[in-house]
Amino acid sequence: MDAYSAEAEAAASPAASNLKAQDSNQGIFHAVWTFSFRMVLRYIKNSYKDDPFRTFLEICLIGFIIWYITKQKYNIGNNEIVLSEKEIDELVDEWKPEPLVPELTDFEREILDKAVIIDGPNGTKVRLASGSNTKPVVNFASYNFLGFLDNTDLEKHAYETLRKYGVGSCGPPGFYGTLDVHMELEKQVAAFVGHSAAILYSQAFATTLSVIPCFSKRGDIIVADESVCFQLQQAITLSRSKVYWYKHNDMADLERVLKDVNKQLVGRRGKKALPRKFIVTEGLFQNTGDISPLKDLVDLKHRYKFRIILDESYSFGVLGKRGAGLTDHFNVDPHEIDLMIGALCYAIGASGGFCCADKDLIEHQRLSGLGYCFSASMPSILTVAASDAIQALESSPNSHLASMRENTTLLRTLLKRIPGLQVDGDPESPLIHIRLTPETLVRMKRSGGAWTNTDIKRVLMELSDETQKDGVLFIPSQYVDEHERLLPNPSIRICVSAAHTRKEIEKCAHAVKSAVSRVTSKKR
Amino acid sequence: MGKGQRATQVYRSTEFIEQRRDEDGLVLGGDPFKLAPSTSASLLESEKADKMNASAKTNPKANAIAKVHSADDSSGELESVPTFILVTTYLSYLMLIVFAHLRDFFGKLFYPEMYVQLREQNGFAPMVSDFESLWTRRLYGRIRDCFNRPITGVAGGHVNLLERVSFDFNRSFEFTGRVRNVLNLASYNYLGFAQSEGPCADKVEQAMRDSGITQASTRAEAGCSRLLVETEDMVARFVGAEAALIVSMGYATNALNIPALVSKGCLIISDELNHSSLVSGARLSGATIRVFRHNNVASLEEMLRHSIAQGQPRTHRPWKKILVVVEGLYSMEGELCKLPEIVELRRRYGFYLFVDEAHSIGALGKRGRGVCDHFNVDPREVDVLMGTFTKSFGAAGGYIAGSRALINHLRLKSHSAVYAEAMSVPVLAQVSSSMRMIMGEDREHALEGQQRLDQLAVNSRYFARRLAEMGFMTMGDPGSPVIPLLLFSPAKIPAFSRECLKRNIAVVVVSYPATPIITGRVRFCISASHTREDLDYALEQVSEIGDLLLLKFHKGNVDTERIARINADIDANNISV
Repeated sequence: MDAYSAEAEAAASPAASNLKAQDSNQGIFHAVWTFSFRMVLRYIKNSYKDDPFRTFLEICLIGFIIWYITKQKYNIGNNEIVLSEKEIDELVDEWKPEPLVPELTDFEREILDKAVIIDGPNGTKVRLASGSNTKPVVNFASYNFLGFLDNTDLEKHAYETLRKYGVGSCGPPGFYGTLDVHMELEKQVAAFVGHSAAILYSQAFATTLSVIPCFSKRGDIIVADESVCFQLQQAITLSRSKVYWYKHNDMADLERVLKDVNKQLVGRRGKKALPRKFIVTEGLFQNTGDISPLKDLVDLKHRYKFRIILDESYSFGVLGKRGAGLTDHFNVDPHEIDLMIGALCYAIGASGGFCCADKDLIEHQRLSGLGYCFSASMPSILTVAASDAIQALESSPNSHLASMRENTTLLRTLLKRIPGLQVDGDPESPLIHIRLTPETLVRMKRSGGAWTNTDIKRVLMELSDETQKDGVLFIPSQYVDEHERLLPNPSIRICVSAAHTRKEIEKCAHAVKSAVSRVTSKKR
Repeated sequence: MGKGQRATQVYRSTEFIEQRRDEDGLVLGGDPFKLAPSTSASLLESEKADKMNASAKTNPKANAIAKVHSADDSSGELESVPTFILVTTYLSYLMLIVFAHLRDFFGKLFYPEMYVQLREQNGFAPMVSDFESLWTRRLYGRIRDCFNRPITGVAGGHVNLLERVSFDFNRSFEFTGRVRNVLNLASYNYLGFAQSEGPCADKVEQAMRDSGITQASTRAEAGCSRLLVETEDMVARFVGAEAALIVSMGYATNALNIPALVSKGCLIISDELNHSSLVSGARLSGATIRVFRHNNVASLEEMLRHSIAQGQPRTHRPWKKILVVVEGLYSMEGELCKLPEIVELRRRYGFYLFVDEAHSIGALGKRGRGVCDHFNVDPREVDVLMGTFTKSFGAAGGYIAGSRALINHLRLKSHSAVYAEAMSVPVLAQVSSSMRMIMGEDREHALEGQQRLDQLAVNSRYFARRLAEMGFMTMGDPGSPVIPLLLFSPAKIPAFSRECLKRNIAVVVVSYPATPIITGRVRFCISASHTREDLDYALEQVSEIGDLLLLKFHKGNVDTERIARINADIDANNISV
């Protein structure tokens, strides 16, 4: 029997073994113990003499090992309370969850009841299935800027497409969902914008939601305009990047933020890799109708080494000589925009969205863009509709853009003449937000009390009801109030179309004028 | 090989996790079954697990028998990977990764201009980091020809593939101009509604003549048409709910609606294999997210008890709501969720249940109404029924269905209703016409819908049984229209796809990161539009490829237990295969 096992045995159960064995074992144990004890003692003495620091280090090391072994491995449970099974059962019985959805308020019920239902095709003239008006109304609510919804020529091609491709693609692009028409439209969009390559997504919201998190990850930096539309806010949230906001369209404030960010990064350099830095903004702001000063943005981009992510959802097809968006409008090289996001569902009158970027970045999205990789590709009919619309725009930009701009200028001038009305947005923007001026609102309040958001919305809804009676349709802009970062002031969004006639524009202005005077004359 | 030693389990069924913990001596904090004597279901399970553990310890033979029994009881598949396969698969990946790094090393040395975009340039950080993109550049790049294959025309039972070749190792492709008609075992065309002719296409054309193509507005503003409202009512009727909301994209249905249901202070308990869109939605909602083991009801129950008892982290306040998110049919595994057990748990614990029926709606159940129909569960027991129209209906987009209060709330607060474009007319018309046909409400084609459902049921079971009989290692529940066949080795993944294409069959192969690293697989998507000849041709070719690539892991030792399960299912459903 060797010494170690004897030692173990003796330590483990001295009382259990019989006396004789214990005797002999103890003898051996004693000898080994004294010997090893002496050895250790001599060793410590010697090493203490030679190098006290080393002994100290060794003791620390042993202490650390003991501490490490005994300490709790996981910190997750630290805050948890130990409960018995019975207690858990009681807690489970006790727990009452909130209802899945809250009850509707009266105002919300009113919104639902008054929701517009369109019977038949959407366009500048629509028939309503809701409300009492049986005559067609002039539609200023759809984002039909170029009037493609009214263009019946484009529909013929849709029937042919249906007979060749069916409706759905029955799979994501990666799994036999890429059609030849998708690839053609991608090329067409990239060529139209003047960028290197493009990728299609089957919904405009999902485009932003996929593109930004695809490149901007945790640890990266986004500097965004505080008035960006909800889609971009959600995309920024999903990216989990560090985000800084700058005042709406204020380049001086943007520069301040960029400087700040770069200053913070100087200290971090060397330790960590440089994070990706982006400026995120919109071409034509959905919530204000303003246009981004692109030249200044590009200038800042180079000065402070930030990349630009530009959401052209509302400006694509609307701004610029050819209708190719903000870069066309300002005559800036599209390659300056690192990631250009656009929508095909608004001005183009089809569905879905796209992203234009360098070829490598587009290829990266085919595997990492969640909305591309994990959802079915765009239905062929809509793809062809988009392709036809872009072609129509390309071949005769003036017939669409010129009349849209003419109508915009006309309506803006007419609306501005209406007393008590505030008309927002860039003069060139066919997206017009109208609000009642603060003075009007103050005048309307009988007791001079404050206006709540719901009060103003209610007034705007009355206003749109009034115009609907006069045969003009628009709808107060809808938001999910509690999820917006900075809730825009309530407004009515008017979308001017190239397909509106001069008469319709005048009718619209007239209807607004009489509605405003009717609504504001009432004290409340 | 098939007789070889079993090293590890691919699939984790409820019972098995407990067993493995015991064997490894890694029992963490007691048996969750014993913790939960609350429902009769979990009590039963607890006894079962105890018996299993006991028998597993006493003798290995009993262990084997226990496995068979547990496979009968649970819908989860018990498949074992032979050690040899396991080792070679890991070795192959190791080799691929070593070579990837070597190629990168020498590439950077000799062709630095090709790696410019991975380095900091001119003060700009690289858009894609070197490490992140290694997989894409060096592993995915080798087999890029197996994905994103472009097609033309309808993705029906057969599909026209645009032939392409690459002369630079898959960096770019050139089209040869030839079009190849191949058998389509890849598209989610379960009921064969991907058609350019027939009653549905006619209805779609008529709808476009009546209502144009798109709305250019959101549902909450000017995008709500009468057709949309009518289709929503039909969807609600189809799934057995009070009301429904239609969304123009499947991914967005989840990503943009979950945030309207839960928020900070709420808890989402999600299956670990849930689809990416559910993950995005959960993240956007701001709620706390916890994950339970795939299809493991015991793990879910343990998590529920723990979460309710402990409350919110740090503050210990009770959770406002708990939303359990599962999928009806997991498309990568071909597995059904254990809906009856989960519904049982819902009664006890009072959470809200969200079932994503993207793949199961239209494809499962005698009447095609999804998992609820399949399991005979009242749809009202599920709080949020979600599904897509891409698969069984040959359309696009998705829906959320549930109580009227839920849908009213979503019409006002859902991000998709307020901010995303409304569903287009042709897609709506396709949904309503195909759904009407499945429900038998289309008078001229009253029987066709049921015929398609029956055909799919027969086709999927026939194909699954034949594959099992040939000795392949397959996964999934009987009746699932998606049948995954395990390939394991990374070299066999592209090889299988290319061999199939050579024989004019289109298939989908998937591997890491969509699946666990060792279980690379091919997925066969069966459709009602496949004829028996199509399936027989495919089976014959797959069998040959199986011999070529040594894929018949069960050869000489056919997985009788799986075949028996499929046969039992066939008998139970009264199907003549």
